[in-house]
Amino acid sequence: MALQDFRPMQERCSNCLNCRWVPFDKLKSERFGENCPSIAYNNFMTYSARGRFQLGQTILDGDADYTETITELVHDCMACGSCDVTCKVCRYNLEPLEHNIELKVDAVEKGKTLPAQAGIMAALKQEQTMIPGSKKAQRLDWAKGIQVKDLFKDKAEVAFYPGCKYSYDPKLQKVAQAALKLLIDAGADVGIMGNADACCGGRALQMGFRAEFTERAEANIKAFNTAGVKVIVTPCSDCYHALKRQYAKLGLAIEVLHTVEYLERLIEEGKLTFTKSVNMTVTYHDPCHLGRLGEPFVPWDGTEKKIMNQVHTWSPKRPRYNGAYGIYDAPRNVLAAIPGLRLVEMDRIREYAWCCGAGGGCSQTLPEYSAWTASERITEANTTGAEAMVTACPWCEANFMGAVDEHGKSIQVFDIIELVQQAL
Amino acid sequence: MALTAEIYQAFEDVVGQRNISQDKGVLESYRCITSQSSAHYGPFDHKTPLPQAVIMPGSTEEVQKIIKLCNKYKIQFKASTTFWSAMGFIGSENAIQLDMRRMKGIEIDEKNMIAVVEPYAIGAVVQVEAMKVGLNCNIPGVGCSSSVVASTAGWVGFGPTSISMGVAGENMLGAEWVLPDGEVLRTGSLGAGAGWFNGEGPGPSTRSVLRGFQGTTGTMGVCTKVAIRLHPWPGPTCIPTRGQTPAYKASLPDNFKCYTLCYPSWEAWAKGAAMLHEAEIVYLGHRQFNMFGRDIKAAMLRILNDPNGQLADLEPLLQDPELKKQNELMKMDIQVVLAGMTARDIAYKEKVLDRILELCGGWKSEMMLEKDMQDYVLLYLLRLGHKNLNYTLCGSYEGNYGLSSNVFVATAVIEEASELKDKWAKTHTTIADTGGDSDMGSLSIIGGGGAMGWEFFVNFDAYDKASIQGTNDFIDETQKWMTSKGLGVDMGRWNQDIRRKDGLNFTQEEHDAMYVNAAQPLVFAYQWKVREAVNPNHLGGSYYRTLTPSKIGLA
Ligand SMILES: Cc1cc2nc3c(=O)[nH]c(=O)nc-3n(C[C@H](O)[C@H](O)[C@H](O)COP(=O)(O)OP(=O)(O)OC[C@H]3O[C@@H](n4cnc5c(N)ncnc54)[C@H](O)[C@@H]3O)c2cc1C
Ligand code: SF4
Ligand code: SF4
Repeated sequence: MALQDFRPMQERCSNCLNCRWVPFDKLKSERFGENCPSIAYNNFMTYSARGRFQLGQTILDGDADYTETITELVHDCMACGSCDVTCKVCRYNLEPLEHNIELKVDAVEKGKTLPAQAGIMAALKQEQTMIPGSKKAQRLDWAKGIQVKDLFKDKAEVAFYPGCKYSYDPKLQKVAQAALKLLIDAGADVGIMGNADACCGGRALQMGFRAEFTERAEANIKAFNTAGVKVIVTPCSDCYHALKRQYAKLGLAIEVLHTVEYLERLIEEGKLTFTKSVNMTVTYHDPCHLGRLGEPFVPWDGTEKKIMNQVHTWSPKRPRYNGAYGIYDAPRNVLAAIPGLRLVEMDRIREYAWCCGAGGGCSQTLPEYSAWTASERITEANTTGAEAMVTACPWCEANFMGAVDEHGKSIQVFDIIELVQQAL
Repeated sequence: MALTAEIYQAFEDVVGQRNISQDKGVLESYRCITSQSSAHYGPFDHKTPLPQAVIMPGSTEEVQKIIKLCNKYKIQFKASTTFWSAMGFIGSENAIQLDMRRMKGIEIDEKNMIAVVEPYAIGAVVQVEAMKVGLNCNIPGVGCSSSVVASTAGWVGFGPTSISMGVAGENMLGAEWVLPDGEVLRTGSLGAGAGWFNGEGPGPSTRSVLRGFQGTTGTMGVCTKVAIRLHPWPGPTCIPTRGQTPAYKASLPDNFKCYTLCYPSWEAWAKGAAMLHEAEIVYLGHRQFNMFGRDIKAAMLRILNDPNGQLADLEPLLQDPELKKQNELMKMDIQVVLAGMTARDIAYKEKVLDRILELCGGWKSEMMLEKDMQDYVLLYLLRLGHKNLNYTLCGSYEGNYGLSSNVFVATAVIEEASELKDKWAKTHTTIADTGGDSDMGSLSIIGGGGAMGWEFFVNFDAYDKASIQGTNDFIDETQKWMTSKGLGVDMGRWNQDIRRKDGLNFTQEEHDAMYVNAAQPLVFAYQWKVREAVNPNHLGGSYYRTLTPSKIGLA
């Protein structure tokens, strides 16, 4: 779809501005009621999903240009999808998140990008990663010393796909190692992609670089198909969304699981049992791309159909992505299975969780804003009295690690895999 | 006419660089496309003018400095908070828009049962904070996303709970206003330095001047803080919810009951409503789901209650004989919530309600007694958090047959109004054909009952020019019919006439021509005098309707 295809949505948005808040039925406090980091940080209405609909129209009509302010505004969206969930509490025919991304695509196509994006995209092109400074040749260094099949050469049922952040970030590589060892110890027939391992490109799409994303996706789909795996397991939520939702649109037919889903299955089947207590009170941060954006892709080929003169419907019935079926229970079930661990919830959870601040590439392109977004979440986490925040995405973890709350206080951050490891 | 660099700098010096913008793309998002979004309150298919700048003040002092600059440079201004109401947008090309978003403080005074709130404290957040101490606030029918200050000081403010809690104007206690000349006025007990607790003396009482019944739509300065009355909430400190988005449901204790009351005729309905006004047993009363249309409301309720439901399910659901039966049984209906302060209280209220139904030949809808349905409706009505469902069918709607009146007057011709709409929808494809009667409204638009608010929802497609035009034509048709019935101005027409078709303010000459022959021209002449006293430079725009007194022979 191109920006002009969104014209009906732009004109049918009803200016209710619910897209600035968590679903009102779920609102628990004034302090943690807003849902959109972009407008919460910048305040002008234009930063909300509604504002973006109106901006999109203005751009199509030629009434405004991509000035420096507007270029930054367009890329300031974290692609977290929170507005999408709240909009769809009442609306059945609007796709605010898709529109936000399309606006970015439009800007990118017109050469309106942020300075930091050039380096990120160059790294993707040259080194097949979105982490500038990292080298393709070092991509598998994290797995050194682990006996695992190389799917470039061998066959296995499961492909373990850690993604760029776990592969390269020295603070996080241990999580990828632990996750892979867990799979191996549980008896999974697992391998890694070897030389074919490369960035999923999901964050390129979140930043509006659709062509670059598609190129990466097609190459990766080919590699997975050649490897002949039945399941892809990833501990990264961004990769999960890219593979499960976006690649599926491009023809990937292999089952995609996040590590938490795989662990939940192992626990249910009795293949993973805990022997140690982890005496800690934790709170769980739902990564956007695992939670509300973790719903599976459902193919649909249809058109709008008006009934009763003017009522908008779709023929045939169109799949609806509103966060209802995201991955929320699997991580909580894994945490509940760990002896001694207590979970306390934040005000904004599940489909209405607040973004960590790394979405849409913002941790790399707009670091101050990204750090503020993380700080808001840490303030919320510290309000629960938890000793640590647990999550299931390396981008969230990395963004929380360096951040402090509004009082300057930090919180311990764990990947769920690390807690599982402690309990073994 | 862009602001000069000097003027822009002067504003920027007040709020800081981050809180002012004159970027075209930003400014464009502060225009109201009246047919498209806040459809309600047209005129259709026009944009309000582009502001010269958008400014976000962070304190009363900043507001005051901005207004003084506006006076110095003769620039119009308008404050708006949530911007859902089309009244919040400017009407002049020489104007700035104030976005009050940065001012969002809330203080709850549990002992005195009041809340002191700044503009961006929306109904939902005031409610959740009040519930933590066993209190609740009136949320206007527009829903909990609306600003308490805007509803209290700026525009209308009645809703489902107004029957027990009163409307926004009635709940308004002390207020702090920056008047259009830049002076700060503190009203009620606040003005006497005695705190926020009382709206009338010992300090100045200007409530009727600055607020009146409908509100002054941002034309009489900027309200920076207001104290509102809070009311008892006999429920948990946070409404417990269950269910998957969007079909969330409340899980409340037994002292809450939610019913859809149905009647065999409009006479019985009106009698029932009047008895509910008299009996003072209702916590909340609203004819809500009929807004989708008489023929489809049961099907819509099924869709809303199903996390997988979609509008595409309407057609098959409408064929379901059981649903058809349930729909027919709630043809003339209204939703009510009872809230018992004690077990005895709820038992008493239930008994009275049953007796009222008995006396009027009414019944409780069976379908709406299903546990999940009751709990969905309970949450919907108590929080009023799904108000954008008003737009869900087609993306836009306009109200016709809008009336604030005694129940017996409005119900006497409601079937005729319904036929008018039904006939139009059957002969024109421009508006949704969902069964004529699509009336929605609060059981009372004044505390304790008496008058009701009515409005038929005319759903149309804001993306379809023919649909927009056809709706406009239908509103004209409704006005003709209402005039022939002696029912006065249709609410939709009245609201659209707030600005010219080109989106700009009316001139005084135009206002004079419009109101010189009005039924009560004195009202507009009075407003002219108020404006001259409070707003001598006419910087608030023309949404405040005035008539030059000399036009009706007054000095
Ligand atoms: C879909 C829809 C349904 C509605 N249903 C109802 C209903 O059932 N009952 C009812 O009573 N009303 C209803 N309204 C109108 C409604 O009262 C107002 O829209 C709302 O209560 C005002 O709050 P807001 O947050 O929308 O205000 P805004 O849109 O922010 O402003 C509303 C008005 O108040 C002025 N204003 C805002 N802030 C200030 C301030 N700080 N100082 C001075 N003036 C200010 C603005 O200029 C504007 O004129 C409806 C409106 C819509 C769009
Ligand atoms: S996707 Fe997230 S950041 Fe972007 S507009 Fe929506 S809520 Fe805001
Ligand atoms: S995008 Fe959706 S939630 Fe936001 S204003 Fe438009 S209709 Fe409302």
